[in-house]
Amino acid sequence: MELLEDVQQNKQVLSTGCEGIDMLLQGGLCVGHLTELVGPSSSGKTQICLKVASRVATRYMGGVVFIDTGNSFSPLRIAHFINQIPDTIFKEVEQNILEKVMSQILCHSVFDIFAMLDVVHQLEYSLRSQVQTGADQVRLLIVDSISSLITPILGGSGPHGRALMISAGFLLKKLAHEHNLAVVVTNHMVGGEGGILKPALGESWKSIPHVRLLLSRDPGSSICHMSILKHSYMASGRAARFMI
Amino acid sequence: MANKLISEMGLPTSIANIFAARNITTAKEALSLTEFELMELLDVGMARVTSAVAHISEIVSPPTQTALSLMEQRVQNEYMAGHLPTRLKGLDEALGGGIPFGVLTELVGPPGIGKTQFCLKLSLLASLPASYGGLDGRVIYIDAESKFSSRRMIEIGSKSFPEIFHVEGMAKEMAGRILVLRPTSLSEFTESLQQIKISLLQNHVKLLVIDSMAALVTGEYDQGPTRQHSLGWHISFIKSIAEFSRIPIVVTNQWRAGVKL
Amino acid sequence: MELARLPISASQRGKLISAGYTSFSSLSSLSPSTLAQDLKISDNEALEILRVVSQGSRLDKPDGSHAIVNGAQTAWDMLHEEESLKCITTSCVDLDDILGGGIKCKEVTEIGGVPGIGKTQLGIQLAVNVQIPVNYGGLGGKAIYIDTEGSFMLERALQIAEACIEDMSGNSDFLQKDFQSCQVKAQPKDFLQNIFYFRVCSYTEQIAMINYLDKFISEHKDVNVVIIDSVTFHFRQDFDDLALRTRLLSGMALKLMKLAKKFSLAVVLLNQVTTKHTEGSFQLTLALGDSWSHSCTNRVILYWNGDERYAYIDKSPSLRSASAPYSVTGKGIRTATSKCKRIKIM
Repeated sequence: MELLEDVQQNKQVLSTGCEGIDMLLQGGLCVGHLTELVGPSSSGKTQICLKVASRVATRYMGGVVFIDTGNSFSPLRIAHFINQIPDTIFKEVEQNILEKVMSQILCHSVFDIFAMLDVVHQLEYSLRSQVQTGADQVRLLIVDSISSLITPILGGSGPHGRALMISAGFLLKKLAHEHNLAVVVTNHMVGGEGGILKPALGESWKSIPHVRLLLSRDPGSSICHMSILKHSYMASGRAARFMI
Repeated sequence: MANKLISEMGLPTSIANIFAARNITTAKEALSLTEFELMELLDVGMARVTSAVAHISEIVSPPTQTALSLMEQRVQNEYMAGHLPTRLKGLDEALGGGIPFGVLTELVGPPGIGKTQFCLKLSLLASLPASYGGLDGRVIYIDAESKFSSRRMIEIGSKSFPEIFHVEGMAKEMAGRILVLRPTSLSEFTESLQQIKISLLQNHVKLLVIDSMAALVTGEYDQGPTRQHSLGWHISFIKSIAEFSRIPIVVTNQWRAGVKL
Repeated sequence: MELARLPISASQRGKLISAGYTSFSSLSSLSPSTLAQDLKISDNEALEILRVVSQGSRLDKPDGSHAIVNGAQTAWDMLHEEESLKCITTSCVDLDDILGGGIKCKEVTEIGGVPGIGKTQLGIQLAVNVQIPVNYGGLGGKAIYIDTEGSFMLERALQIAEACIEDMSGNSDFLQKDFQSCQVKAQPKDFLQNIFYFRVCSYTEQIAMINYLDKFISEHKDVNVVIIDSVTFHFRQDFDDLALRTRLLSGMALKLMKLAKKFSLAVVLLNQVTTKHTEGSFQLTLALGDSWSHSCTNRVILYWNGDERYAYIDKSPSLRSASAPYSVTGKGIRTATSKCKRIKIM
């Protein structure tokens, strides 16, 4: 009974800032859920992450923590997205607004899985001890990309890499659930049988995220294609096209 | 460098012993594992693994030099302006002096055209004293097709350099500077190459001839990717020998009906 | 469980748990010898474990301001920082344009192309251009050139350096009179002195080199660019265990990212393009394509368009996809003009 109430209460969504995606996901990213964005190189994963970060910081005045593993966090792009977003408080985006919004987005570079776990733990600690209040509350955590941190430890002679991956996944889900965050991670693709691409991180990872979204982009165009691989309550296979 | 022994790297005894206990003896074995794998395998914390790997890496890394010191080195060591003259005027002109040092030169042509003869001549030229325009050094001749003939070479020598070859014992000395290897398998060849790289400089080797590349690989594998693979490694290794030792290296290759092997 | 995220081995963790230690607090006031006795390990090992634990628990309590996560920066601060970061010019105006000024520092840029398109030329050009003094709009820094195939050409580097000096002297005529006092007295040889050259002959040496770069660059802080020519060469041959190769490459990619960020330098990775046969047609793809494609911040592909050389931005978090022509001249990489075309070999 508690669980059901919990779910109903927590069924908030965060708009992604991209109409096509919001429509596909019936509102946006689920708070309390771990969402995975998977796609081949340059399919738009980082762009979507930057866009969502901008949106959450602007519209919900929420804090965003962006964990960057590929030096891809672009403050320029963030500023661009913020300037684009129509429903800001004032008609013209002033410097102070830009500053205020961009100061809500924290970016941390990590280059190994242990460093990432440290950051997540710190975040958990500060959320738990309620260091920040009200408007600044962290609403979104992004890890771009989690696969680059896990690939070096996966495979090999022992199961330890896989175990670490699974515990990292559970940690992120727990964080999302206990503190009402939306957590987004990106994953890349690898060659599978017959030369067809498939998501990296293997079978053990598949069941971990609540939502898995597959991205692709036609070469040379700015139109992205997204389809649902897995969702808590929506059918997989639903797809959408949009532009970033 | 990759085969350097861990036991000789000056690591703290405790960690060196742990590597040995897990049968990781060379740098290659240690660096072919990620730090995470090493942590689990050696059963030590990440911090110790990282510092051991940093230590090993520093030792295995190529020596520090600047492009300037590289240039100065080459200028200093380059003998005869970096070329081995072939004595064929037109060819020497086209090549800017002769067969260049420090790179791999390929002799390609249909069977019977004279590739091996040319190699014999070059070997001779390299062994001649400087006063006769030679490199005054030893030659390593890898004879994969058993075509090397010392008699033929002395014939060439007597015809081209009668002054030297009629001197008592000179022919023998020149011939003695040419070491002929006949590897019977690809792995033998690989081993020879590795030996050559190590002992080349101290033995005053001034020319390396491989006659022929194709013969070494024929019959070992079926056509296709495996063969390309293996040749790729060998060629890369031979190139690195050339660069590091700054000697000329000549390799022959078949050209059969427009298809290169 | 807290212990799960410590960078210690699984068996060390196992010993801790069997001995009843499951949290940081249970270990906080323990002495190494007591722990050593309990777990039946050496004193040194126990000390190591306790050190890791205390680091972990210290990180848990973020300090003062920006208390959410230590070491994080706000996007606002980063925006300002980015504006002050210089780029390394490619000497080709159009190429610099699509790159947003040039090759960026703090990022890993991969440059792919077929043999002969000019990757090494561009590499050498960047190794020279990074040295352009600050008054001339450059970084005044040094370069590290890691050569995996023996492609580096000394004579060419000298040529390019000469041309660069010429260009700078030419430009000083346009600059104000104050600059005349710092007239370029540089010699091409000085440029060669500022390029650290490393020739690696196997993947082991390459991995060792990249590991060593952290220490080397700490001791040579004026290095602003690391060029690896070419990055995947030694991994394409002689690798039986492809899964191992993927692990090693992805580990290497992370280390390069870390270097770029830590020392604010540009990392430039040159990569071959190979032909891949899929669905009956040949496609040009980067060597080691799928297992490597995500390991860079930006990717530029160099290609032939008829007889002209073009560069295309294939991947970038902040740049638009765009193409620009460039040329390879006696002076190095330059802006394309109608005269610079491919020479057809008869």
